[in-house]
Amino acid sequence: MQNLFLLLFAGYIGGLLLPLCFPTKPAVQNILAHGSAGLASGAGILLGVTGLFAPEPWTASVQSTIPFLSFAVRLDSLASLFVLTISLVGLVASIYAIGYVTEFYGRASIAALGALFNGFLLSMTLVVIADNGFFFLIVWELMSLLSYFLVVTEYEKAEVRYAGFFYLVMTHVGTAFIILAFLIFFQAGGSFSFEAFRHPEQPLPEGIRTLVFLMALIGFGTKAGIVPLHVWLPYAHPSAPSHISALMSGVMIKTAIYALVRVYFDFLGGQFPWWWGFIVLVIGAVSALLGVMYALMEHDLKSLLAYHSVENIGIILLGIGAGMIFQTYGLTEFAALGLLAGLYHTINHAMFKALLFLGAGSLLYATHTRNMEEYGGLLRRMPWTGAFFLIGAVSISALPPTNGFVSEWLIFQSLFLSFHLPTVLLKFMLPLAAAALALTSVLALACFAKAFGISFLALPRSSHARLAEEVPITMRIAMGLLAVVCVLLGLAPMVVVPMLDRVVTPFAGQSIEGKVLALDGWALAPVNMEFSSLSTPVLALLLVALSMLGLGLVAAFGGLVKQRYYKTWGCGINLTPRMEYTATGFVQPIKRVFGAIYQPTVKLETELLEESRYFAKRRHFEFHIEPVFQKYLYDPVVACFIGMAERLRVIQGGSLHLYLAYIFVTLIVLLLFAV
Amino acid sequence: MQISSHIGSQLVDLCSALLLLTCFAIVAQRRLSACVDLFALQSAFLVLTAALVAFLTGNHHIYIAAGLTCLIKVIIIPRVLKKVIERLNVKRELVMNVNVPAGLLICGGLVMLAFFITQPILPLGFLLTRDSLAIAFAIVLIGFFTMIARQKAVSQLVGFLVMENGLFLGATAATYGMPLIVELGVFFDVLIAVLIAGIYTNRLQDAFDSVDTSHLTGLKE
Repeated sequence: MQNLFLLLFAGYIGGLLLPLCFPTKPAVQNILAHGSAGLASGAGILLGVTGLFAPEPWTASVQSTIPFLSFAVRLDSLASLFVLTISLVGLVASIYAIGYVTEFYGRASIAALGALFNGFLLSMTLVVIADNGFFFLIVWELMSLLSYFLVVTEYEKAEVRYAGFFYLVMTHVGTAFIILAFLIFFQAGGSFSFEAFRHPEQPLPEGIRTLVFLMALIGFGTKAGIVPLHVWLPYAHPSAPSHISALMSGVMIKTAIYALVRVYFDFLGGQFPWWWGFIVLVIGAVSALLGVMYALMEHDLKSLLAYHSVENIGIILLGIGAGMIFQTYGLTEFAALGLLAGLYHTINHAMFKALLFLGAGSLLYATHTRNMEEYGGLLRRMPWTGAFFLIGAVSISALPPTNGFVSEWLIFQSLFLSFHLPTVLLKFMLPLAAAALALTSVLALACFAKAFGISFLALPRSSHARLAEEVPITMRIAMGLLAVVCVLLGLAPMVVVPMLDRVVTPFAGQSIEGKVLALDGWALAPVNMEFSSLSTPVLALLLVALSMLGLGLVAAFGGLVKQRYYKTWGCGINLTPRMEYTATGFVQPIKRVFGAIYQPTVKLETELLEESRYFAKRRHFEFHIEPVFQKYLYDPVVACFIGMAERLRVIQGGSLHLYLAYIFVTLIVLLLFAV
Repeated sequence: MQISSHIGSQLVDLCSALLLLTCFAIVAQRRLSACVDLFALQSAFLVLTAALVAFLTGNHHIYIAAGLTCLIKVIIIPRVLKKVIERLNVKRELVMNVNVPAGLLICGGLVMLAFFITQPILPLGFLLTRDSLAIAFAIVLIGFFTMIARQKAVSQLVGFLVMENGLFLGATAATYGMPLIVELGVFFDVLIAVLIAGIYTNRLQDAFDSVDTSHLTGLKE
């Protein structure tokens, strides 16, 4: 494993440095940076798999001269799972990038982009295997900074700079909370090593543990994008180049999930009062619902996907929160199930969200716009991208037999098991969370019906879409790989569940592999067969069989009907793009139903013909939804800071001499005090 | 032994006093190029002091520091500053925030303050350079005062460098010099600071047709 790790390290560092040796050849830089990253992430995949099945965690460390800091790594099953996920998405993103960054030739430095890409992947890998709090914070910060620089790749645009700044501020607020949480552990254990965090010399008092819980939730929650700390995602993720968006949305925010599981189940030993799990559950439900609702109103394809990341983080937290609640009451089987379901969804989301972002990147590559209103009819022009995007859309909408369906089904199951809980409140609340999840899934389906339908079907609505062409082969291969992984993760839970079981066993104290898998692994049946069971391979077979049946029927009896070829829904009129549903039009019913949440403002200006006021010359339609969180939560805070700064400006004379005099007088006064 | 150490101490004090004297000369001098010359002279006295301390105490690494001081502060920096003055064509400091006589009075007050402040510390020292600490302190304060009193960027830079000289003297006086690595770092910093300030002065000239830093007040908004 040491060799694999060294190979991974060398690969990323090589990808970081090599392109800088060829300053004038972007094509060489491209191949070197992304080839090397691909090699390193290949090693990462192997490392993850071997780590997952190793009997003992692999550890290594290099002592540093800085006090309390040692570059220690530890690859236990949880870390291995995340290394595997990061490397898989990293590999695909590397392949994709070879085609995608040709867009940036001459516009941005490919060497810098490639170097940052490698550094970003390396820092994420180190975050999940770090075994020292100090080291963790360093690589965590490195990850944030590198992703910031990647977000501002197109820094000449004002909105990109704004997005980058927003992200930088939010992530540092989060990091501040993480540092506080780690300092509390340090106080108790006297060391920054994770081993000391796990087993402090004297156990932490209850109040302090609660403090750690809240700090970690806010700190890591900012990175994960839980509501109301999610506001940076829809700015930052769309601004980055698309393969970076895939990494950020697919895996970077998952490092926060990793850290939450690490802190709650590992460091705090899985001992918590019921309301901790309850808070996580509520935050999960709110994030899931609001995330998908705001996604529906978004017409920028990448912003839409960013809001879906908020939604899916919420879904993951539903699973983890349920696991925490069960853990409180000693129902370790169910706790393991909740945690397992949450982690399953974590991997699944990484795969399908990366796929969708790469798909969105391909659309951007082909049409040079992210605005869905300017798409349309792309399926004919980009059949491969369309097919892969569809698979991603099906997965994220949790339709069988894809991976999103399996993990959301498992989360439902663990929420339904709440009737085993002793308290009435929780007995009611968990099914409510399940209801929220159901609503979320439905809205997600609506959202992707919109995203796919508006983008790929009907006629092109702009010259951008009319002139679009299929993307280069490397980009198609990358998307294809992820599409295959998405389907396999759905069809083969019997492979995935035992792997995840190895991860949750140390935390829940019990292996549930045998209890979740039934019929030699061909079906999932959490806890018992009578309650509920699911077999995706059978479902898939049924789907294929039914569609075959349909086709067969058409083939058998279709000849009896006279065939005519004409435009669908045309009713004899020539169809034009202006007759199509727009993205805005598509979501109007939902906007009306949830008007209380969106608080929409609609502006319709009509310019009438002078001859007759029954005919309009032009119509102008505007529609905005209220950014509630920004308006009621962030703006007051920002206004408060600016107000304080305004008051402090009294002492700002603007004169250099005045400032020097301030320092001078302060110095003299302090010296006189000292005497 | 007793006598030689006594004489050594007196010599160090003398050199330090000369340093302080050049400070007053800088405060009183309106011509910029003369200010720079005086700074070079002050640095030369500093080299002498450091070399003396090195000789008397046998701490050879102070020789290196003294040599570097000679190279950077006596030769390079004055030359850079002269170039800047030449290019910008500013010869004199015409308007000052504090006029020369008042400035000299204030500096006298600052020297008294420095001695007053170091009074409780000096008897605790056992090094032969201990009296220099008060002087070093006075030099730092006067350098700072120069930065406040003058308006031209070049003379502010000289004030900054005088402060630096004071700090160096203080370090030598209080502890026979900082570790060599720290001193090297400080020299590097000073050199960079001067280069940056030189560029800044040039930009100031380009932007306002003047190196008067009070123009910067306009940047407040």
